[in-house]
Amino acid sequence: MDNNRNKQVDEILGSLDGSRRAAVPDFFYTRLKARMEKGLEQGQSLNKSWLLRPAFAITALAVVLLINAFVILKDDATKDNSTKEVETLQSIAAEYSLNDNSPVYDLNQDK
Amino acid sequence: MDELELIQGLRNADETAFKLLVDTYQDRVYNTAIGIVHNAEDAEDVAQEVFIQVYRSIHSFKGESKLSTWLYRIATTRALDLLRSRKSKKRFGLMQRLFGDGNEPLHELPDYNHPGITLDRKENAAKLFKAIAQLPENQKVAFTLHKLEDLSYQEISDVMQTSVPAVESLMHRAKQNLRKILEKEIN
Repeated sequence: MDNNRNKQVDEILGSLDGSRRAAVPDFFYTRLKARMEKGLEQGQSLNKSWLLRPAFAITALAVVLLINAFVILKDDATKDNSTKEVETLQSIAAEYSLNDNSPVYDLNQDK
Repeated sequence: MDELELIQGLRNADETAFKLLVDTYQDRVYNTAIGIVHNAEDAEDVAQEVFIQVYRSIHSFKGESKLSTWLYRIATTRALDLLRSRKSKKRFGLMQRLFGDGNEPLHELPDYNHPGITLDRKENAAKLFKAIAQLPENQKVAFTLHKLEDLSYQEISDVMQTSVPAVESLMHRAKQNLRKILEKEIN
């Protein structure tokens, strides 16, 4: 039984001995050249493919968000500054009696 | 045109040199690929990729080994890459099926018949190829190069960038594993 099995295994193991080399299908070179030319064309048309890469998209998004954040923060700072400026102007106006209820207006109204 | 002239021609992007390279080595590359991937279309795809890689990276070929050795190395690497991607696709398909997304049935590749095997040995050869597919990668490469391409252990060691005793050991283990697999199949 074992001998029979060993013989069978040996036959299977030796089944590739003396085999011929498999040959490429017909027109292999034509198909290879066509693939190379197609690859070259694709390479040329995809020269700007870096635009579609996730790394580029993420970087572009980050830049846009940074610009937004910068504009918002700067706007807040400008608001603070303008409040201070108004206060300063009001104090100057009060100092020189240039308020809205100044006597000039009163005099004009009397006329 | 000797090998040095051929390499020089390839470096100069000479089409005659490229055609000569393909004509000379196409069957060796294809036979190696088909011995590993066990599918004619995939083997042709691998063979095309090998020649495209040679065309693109001939400038990096230092000439320390024979051109044929370099070609065998690229062919075996590409063929193993294809097997790995086939495995990962199969795993992904299985995942899809588990989560009820994949409708395509998963099926094993049919028994492979090498075109260079005589009719009386085809059945046994198909069993052997099925067993070879279960070998670890380096044993598979060593066994295929030795049996299908008739390379010596020295030539295989050059292709696999290892020593001759290492190839001897790989072949010994490959034969042992094949024997075990085949004995299980027969029972």
